[in-house]
Amino acid sequence: MAEIYPSLAQCAILAAAFKVLLFPAYKSTDFEVHRNWLAITHSLPVKEWYYEKTSEWTLDYPPFFAAFEWFLSQAAKLADPAMLVVNNLNHDSWQTVYFQRTTVIVTELVLVFALSRFIKSAPQQHKTLAHVASLSVLLSPGLLIIDHIHFQYNGFMYGVLILSLVLARKQSTLLYSGITFAILLCFKHIYLYLSLAYFVFLLRSYCLDPKSILKPRFGNIFKLGISVLGIFGLAFGPFAHWNQLFQLKDRLFPFSRGLCHAYWAPNIWAMYSFADRVLIPLAPRLGLTVNHDAINSVTRGLVGDTSFAVLPEITKEQTFALTFLFQLLPLIKLWLNPDSWETFIGAVTLCGYASFLFGWHVHEKAVLLIIIPFSLIALKDRRYFGAFRPLVVAGHVSLFPLLFTAAEFPIKTTYTVFWLILFLFAFDRVAPVPEQPRVFLFDRFSLIYITVAIPLIIYCSIGHQLIFGLGRYEFLPLMFMSSYAALGVVGSWVGFMVVYFTA
Amino acid sequence: MAPPTPSSHRPRKKHKLPGSVPGSNNSLILSSGNEKSFPAFPLVSFLWAGRAGVSQWLILPLILMAVGLFRWAVSLWGYSGFQVPPMHGDFEAQRHWMELTIHLPISKWYIYDLQYWGLDYPPLTAYHSWLLGKVGSLFDPAWFALDSSRGIEHPDLKVYMRATVFVSEYFIYIPAIVTFLRRYTRAQGVHAWSSSIALVAILMQPATILVDHGHFQYNTVMLGLVVASLDAILAGRMLWACIFFVGALGFKQMALYYAPIMFSFLLGVCFFPHIRILRLICISVVTLAAFAVLFAPLLLGAIGEEAHAAQASMPLPPLLEALPLAANQKSWVYGPVFQMAQVIHRVFPFARGLFEDKVANAWCAIHTFYKLNRFPAALLQRVSLGATLASIFIPSVVIFRHPRPSLLLLALSCAAWGFFLFSFQVHEKSVLLPLLPMTLLLASDGGLSKETRAWVGWANLLGVWTLYPLLKRDELRIPYFVITLLWAYLMALPPTSLETYRSRPSSEQSTVALEPHLLTKLVHMAFYAAMIGWHLVEAFVPPPASKPDLWVVLNVLIGAAGFGLAYLWCLWKLITQSRRIDEEIEAEASRKKKE
Repeated sequence: MAEIYPSLAQCAILAAAFKVLLFPAYKSTDFEVHRNWLAITHSLPVKEWYYEKTSEWTLDYPPFFAAFEWFLSQAAKLADPAMLVVNNLNHDSWQTVYFQRTTVIVTELVLVFALSRFIKSAPQQHKTLAHVASLSVLLSPGLLIIDHIHFQYNGFMYGVLILSLVLARKQSTLLYSGITFAILLCFKHIYLYLSLAYFVFLLRSYCLDPKSILKPRFGNIFKLGISVLGIFGLAFGPFAHWNQLFQLKDRLFPFSRGLCHAYWAPNIWAMYSFADRVLIPLAPRLGLTVNHDAINSVTRGLVGDTSFAVLPEITKEQTFALTFLFQLLPLIKLWLNPDSWETFIGAVTLCGYASFLFGWHVHEKAVLLIIIPFSLIALKDRRYFGAFRPLVVAGHVSLFPLLFTAAEFPIKTTYTVFWLILFLFAFDRVAPVPEQPRVFLFDRFSLIYITVAIPLIIYCSIGHQLIFGLGRYEFLPLMFMSSYAALGVVGSWVGFMVVYFTA
Repeated sequence: MAPPTPSSHRPRKKHKLPGSVPGSNNSLILSSGNEKSFPAFPLVSFLWAGRAGVSQWLILPLILMAVGLFRWAVSLWGYSGFQVPPMHGDFEAQRHWMELTIHLPISKWYIYDLQYWGLDYPPLTAYHSWLLGKVGSLFDPAWFALDSSRGIEHPDLKVYMRATVFVSEYFIYIPAIVTFLRRYTRAQGVHAWSSSIALVAILMQPATILVDHGHFQYNTVMLGLVVASLDAILAGRMLWACIFFVGALGFKQMALYYAPIMFSFLLGVCFFPHIRILRLICISVVTLAAFAVLFAPLLLGAIGEEAHAAQASMPLPPLLEALPLAANQKSWVYGPVFQMAQVIHRVFPFARGLFEDKVANAWCAIHTFYKLNRFPAALLQRVSLGATLASIFIPSVVIFRHPRPSLLLLALSCAAWGFFLFSFQVHEKSVLLPLLPMTLLLASDGGLSKETRAWVGWANLLGVWTLYPLLKRDELRIPYFVITLLWAYLMALPPTSLETYRSRPSSEQSTVALEPHLLTKLVHMAFYAAMIGWHLVEAFVPPPASKPDLWVVLNVLIGAAGFGLAYLWCLWKLITQSRRIDEEIEAEASRKKKE
């Protein structure tokens, strides 16, 4: 079979060239967050890392990420020592910017490596599909917007995740998959959302006998247990020794935040808020009571308590219960059918969906938690692709509010549209025909859905200001966008659930 | 009954990908012997999936978006004159023209405060500035407030100004290039796929992106009008060609570099193969009419009391002074005549020196070794005129004798190199003019073969390299390296790859002649080595205190030598191709005789 072009390396070179050109682009407070962490890890003893609070952007990632920052800070010394001073708040000399942006590009090589392993691991007849899917992840507008403009290290983190998912493909590397995932958790705890799928999968296909769940494989349990405990011990052991675990818990899980994040991630709660807004004028006629204190706070949507005027309040416990419930459903299937790697990836994806859709204080960036695992199986057949389509449109469009400056507007929109056109067509061309016929009208839903995106984006980016003028009803386009995007994510979730359970 | 949905489980036809593309000897697909085919250079890889069965309606928008992204990303960087008071740079000049055209009556455009970036481009630039100034004032009138906005540097203004360059390019240059390539490749028998590859190569040309979107200028408007004119020629619409070319001249006087060839060509089509007087008359009338329309608003604006008063305060333009009879200042004709003379005086600054900054042309190179300022300016002007005419004589005659579109690009590059090397008052940025037609050669038959790619690529990389001192001043070093190396990488050129200079078996048999000659390889390698070495020296070795400009001078000398070589290559190519046409004509004639 002929090689496939362009190769991963070629695309990585092209993308890197573009990313270097984005050095002077807008950068969010996350840039300062990471600079501050460089400074903290470089200039303070490990004991004080999780207590330092000169900057409001305290260290709130697990210890491996802090160690990673310490490692980067060794090189940062050579670029600009001033960035390593804890009191140099908001320091952004060009050396600092170039250095930090470069580290994002370089650490993304982990992703390139993981994707090349993914292509290698694919069976011969599916190489093209794996190749196209890898390119779509490598060139993902989500990573471009979040990492290379907004500023974070998701390319690195998702590289580790994909590596772990690929290692789960073969029985012989299952242990390493578990180890890699444990390491990933010690880098960034957001991946806890996916951990149930890993737990069930490793328990069923590694720790228990494939033929009978009543025969545990003690050797495997021992190996996995020791490795995972070892990794967590390495990460958290020193802090446990210093009795800092409660401090770490407070830093890593700040539960004082509200239900919805500033821009409203496109999840169930965005739709709930939208419904609440719509009900306010209707409430008197329907005989509902309106909580007048809440009216102003919902429109602002700032971090903090989101309260509802008409609908009942949502508590943390309720969101946890819902998340857990909807994670459990796909895991039952995974438990019963652990042999198929696709089922595992599907379960990971659905865990991502459940936590994104029902979670407490979900950030819109977390949508990558769904998109990236899903990309690996989106080309399994056209039914999977059908569910994938609205997700990528909604998920990427919902990232637009992250960048609000005029200079980046053409980049985020053009790049996303470019990616959507390129990969939706490429996927459409290579996706194989499913074994089962189509079960419901998902194609038409997604077509209409995608078509609506165009006028909506135009309205929200330009039209709204022309009609209402600058600064009036600013929440309106945001709410439209997040409700629209929520509809897409929920729709694709329902579609994928059907595909997953009927597969 | 509902129609079947296109994307359901209907089995799909497998698109058969042909091993080699018909009708092109560009050797884009190489084979390694064992039935495996692979792309000849990275750019081909990126369009690999488009070999067959993919609609142009999909490929073209994707290409335009991708090249647009790179343009916009470059525009995030610095521009000419940022934070350099009091005069700033080209960005401020363009902004200032928007400011003065929207606030002043048309009669004052070319006479208002000439010391501070007085308007010195032809009228179409002025109208363009007026339009952009009007639109920009809708966003924020402070950006273009008369006098008080001088030197303004607001991030939003930068975005607006960058967007105007971008939009102007996408309205003029890009459509012109796309339609030109479509017609040209069809005429040359080049496959649509290799045409798309050539399109990307042309649109990613580093020098054009860096000057327009980095340094800040509107060159692509003028270049786009020239390409539109070429497109009209290919379509056989000679009158439209005249109009577009007058537009190009009216936007930037630099288009004069192309004028002798366009003139000879349009004259040629009236005489060969047989004399067509009516066509000649039509062409002259339309050209004159186009000029008249171009200048009409300016001249009409110069009639009246107010205009007269404004002009009275100004010194007489030299052109008017040189007039043998004293003009009657009372006459209504005086206003327009004064305006016209003033525009010409502003647009063609003969009073300035032979060359202004360090520029990689013959005069600056000679001046390094033999100081030219010992001669009177008038003599230098005459010598420069003579040398320029001599250098463009052959291409003009060839194109006059054989007015064929297939020779046009070579003749234009040749003449533009001639102008760049020998004419008066050349700017380093003018290197874009010879590079444009030369780069368009990539779309011709065999244009992506190793030989043409080597020469065109080398000229482009050399061209952008001579712009480095300018780009460095604008804080555009990183975009310079990224965009230049990216283009070199896409085209498999040094310093990223030696592939173009290596012989390889091709899946198509007839391409041996299209490999670069051994001498070419040696010369190019020497130049690439010099360029890389120069960058290293410039970066790490400070120039001697007595000669602070030593590195720039070295750059200019190498550049001038290379451009001379590029001129000779174009000339040689032009002559061999015209000889081939001669032979064809003779063969045709002898065959007719036999019959």
